[in-house]
Amino acid sequence: MSVLSRMYRGETKFDFVGASRRTLIVSLVLVVLSILIMVVRPFNLSIDFTGGVIVTVENETGAAVENIRAELRAIGYADARVQVTGDGFIIVQTETLHPDEMDTLVTAVADVAGADLKDVNVSAVGPTFGAEVTRKAIEALVVFLIVIALFITWRFEWKMAVAALTAVLHDLLVTGGLYALIGFLVTPATIIAILTILGYSLYDTVVVFEKVKENVHDLHDRSTFSGIVNLSMNQVLMRSINTSLTSLLPVGSLLLVGFLALGAETLKEFALALFIGIGVGTYSSIFIAAPILARWKESEPEWERQHRRSAKSDRSGEAVADIEIPEAPAVAPASSAVARPPKQRRKRR
Amino acid sequence: MNRRKAWITLVLTIAIGWGSLAAMLAVGWAPKLGLDLQGGFAITLVAPEDTDAATLEAAADIIRRRVENLGGVQEPEVAVVGDRAIVVQLPGVEDRERALEAVGTTGELSFRPVLGEFPTSPALVVPESTVPGGDDTVNPILQPLNAIDPDSGLSIVDDIVKRSYLEVAEGLIVYEVGGIPVEFTNGTSVEFPTGSDITDARAQFPSTGLGGSWVVVPEFTDEGGEKFRASTAYLASYPVGDPRRQLAIVVDGVVSSAPAVAAEVSPTEGLDPNAVIITVGDAENAEQDAHDLAAILRYGALPTTFERERVESVSATLGADSLKAGLLAGFAGLVLVAVYMLFYYRSLGLIAILGLTVFGSYLVGIIILLGQTQGTTLTLAGVTGVIVSIGITLDSYIVYFERTKEEFRQGRALRPAVSHAFEAAFRTIRMGDTVTFLAAILLFMLAVGQVKGFALTLGMATVIDVFVAYLFTRSAVYLMARGPLGDLGSFSIRGAMGKGDRAHMAQDVEVAS
Repeated sequence: MSVLSRMYRGETKFDFVGASRRTLIVSLVLVVLSILIMVVRPFNLSIDFTGGVIVTVENETGAAVENIRAELRAIGYADARVQVTGDGFIIVQTETLHPDEMDTLVTAVADVAGADLKDVNVSAVGPTFGAEVTRKAIEALVVFLIVIALFITWRFEWKMAVAALTAVLHDLLVTGGLYALIGFLVTPATIIAILTILGYSLYDTVVVFEKVKENVHDLHDRSTFSGIVNLSMNQVLMRSINTSLTSLLPVGSLLLVGFLALGAETLKEFALALFIGIGVGTYSSIFIAAPILARWKESEPEWERQHRRSAKSDRSGEAVADIEIPEAPAVAPASSAVARPPKQRRKRR
Repeated sequence: MNRRKAWITLVLTIAIGWGSLAAMLAVGWAPKLGLDLQGGFAITLVAPEDTDAATLEAAADIIRRRVENLGGVQEPEVAVVGDRAIVVQLPGVEDRERALEAVGTTGELSFRPVLGEFPTSPALVVPESTVPGGDDTVNPILQPLNAIDPDSGLSIVDDIVKRSYLEVAEGLIVYEVGGIPVEFTNGTSVEFPTGSDITDARAQFPSTGLGGSWVVVPEFTDEGGEKFRASTAYLASYPVGDPRRQLAIVVDGVVSSAPAVAAEVSPTEGLDPNAVIITVGDAENAEQDAHDLAAILRYGALPTTFERERVESVSATLGADSLKAGLLAGFAGLVLVAVYMLFYYRSLGLIAILGLTVFGSYLVGIIILLGQTQGTTLTLAGVTGVIVSIGITLDSYIVYFERTKEEFRQGRALRPAVSHAFEAAFRTIRMGDTVTFLAAILLFMLAVGQVKGFALTLGMATVIDVFVAYLFTRSAVYLMARGPLGDLGSFSIRGAMGKGDRAHMAQDVEVAS
């Protein structure tokens, strides 16, 4: 039976915990790289955070960038960033302006573009307001993480909360690193998207943990913790894949429309962050949250005993059903390539 | 649950969702669009630190009245946000200058003596177009001049004490207006009235006596009346035609009007404050100008100085484009998702698609209801929230269907598998939705601006999702498992389970708990 059809039936036996030694190292490297990138290359923050003025208008006269620059230089805005987009818009960005200077600028840009004043889109943000937005966003993020930690601790246990938050932190840092690396514009829409990603990532993790909790209840005397985690993750694998797919389809079309449609900037920024984030989030709940939990719980005395017991029964040939994936390579089907005994386990035997 | 109960629940859930949405649309209710979707202005004013809440509210009230006075603004929104900001939203407004003027950024309304008038210096000449509609602007209502003071380098509105200017459309003359109080030649000083000395002002069109022109009638407090009498008496001491005979009405350091004191006013008595009229004229814009001047006199002064921290203006075209793009993306996403669900879950996919329409009808219904009753607007961020919620609600189906597969594989018969799976899946769904709901509530409470709109849709979506899963999905799958689409053919639920490989089922029986 092919891997795909096994996945379809939910009969995969991938050894996620065993493979996690490598994936955790990869993730760690990614996180360190991301932090370095963010230090070296700061974010490309939108005017909502830095303060400034953006004037957008349809280029009805087809004015060239140089002409617009010249016009603006004449009225004292030599520093303005001028951009003529492919879909026929003029975008002018300057630092924060006094309201009246702004009116002058807007009028000048409208003149160059040959547009009516009422068709000009202006977005102006003072520096204090930008700082306020940033502060609020960070505040929301911190409170969010604390509340989620408390919730998971209450509903599950504190070690699960730590594992889940580690995954979330990974998502945040890697997404941040990617943004800094490519220089994507960070806007309030990006912040919303990132908060949503945290929601997705946690949601994914919670679904896995819910399953782990259920399986621990049913199988705690028959399997190692890693075995239970592997079983749980294989059971929810198709759900993870399908959910990611069905979430990515609307987000993907949002992204596509954002790139094609005129002026749908917010949509584009939002969809981009979501697209990256959902991918990273799905990865982290499978390869970070659950493996960390498995490794941690294995070191608890109760589970360590369980581990030794099942290793013994394994040697004596009594296979403990087919949930014992990491410990019972004989039961694992040859077709699942990842399923093989993890090295450090063997040392303990 | 039995068949009868399932049918009733199912039909009621669908009927209420679809029915109420259809009813709302039938009576012409539609979601109230935010200004990023229909075009308009949003202006955020920020007060100095430590401004108390009452002052902020009072200022918001004044701005609200000013905006209403603008006329033609459909459902303006003026709200105090956080502890320092007032957000003014003017959807559908296209006249940029007038909107900004009405909202104003501050300060003080005062009357001042005009100290002189000067021909416009070259540095102060600005292109015609900076004064929109400059041609038909009628004295004394004029636009502030956009220019830099050549001496001080200050923008004209920067320093209200030193000098203010007024541009007159015909003849390009700039008035320099002095501060108050003003020294008389004999050494005594005259105090000019300020905004707080005015109790009311009305625009009127007297039918007789004044040659059919618009006038503004101000009313003063007793004390203010005396100040007004004294200052007009002082102004009347200048000969008729002298610019110094004018009384400048200054708002935020900008002269908004400078009517001259009439020839018959006595320099010893001044004007009777109970019988003052300011004649505006009979030009095309006179009515509007009179109303604007009256509004300025009435509400001119805000109780504190505001900084215009954020101005967002979206043209109607861009708004419509964004809305179209959002709808298109949502629609395309829905079609893709529907195809995938049908392909993967077959008959169960049908339930998911039907469920999406039920979910959507409730979500849109509530958005419309909130718009109609609370004035909550649907912004672009809200639309993205709706699109994201497609993923959230589909996840509930996927969790359930995958769980059903699992139960089925473990050897349960179709019907018990379906019911048993729902119980387990519903726990997960509730859990996941709780996490997202918590996130939405926190975002809504803590965040500002766009994020709020997003959090609102997201929060509603999670609640509706739990509700739809329990009432709709459970009943629908229960009934389908008992109908022709349950057991027969590859499109049935059994078909979606991987055709029920019996050999495998036997192997897994042991694990079933």
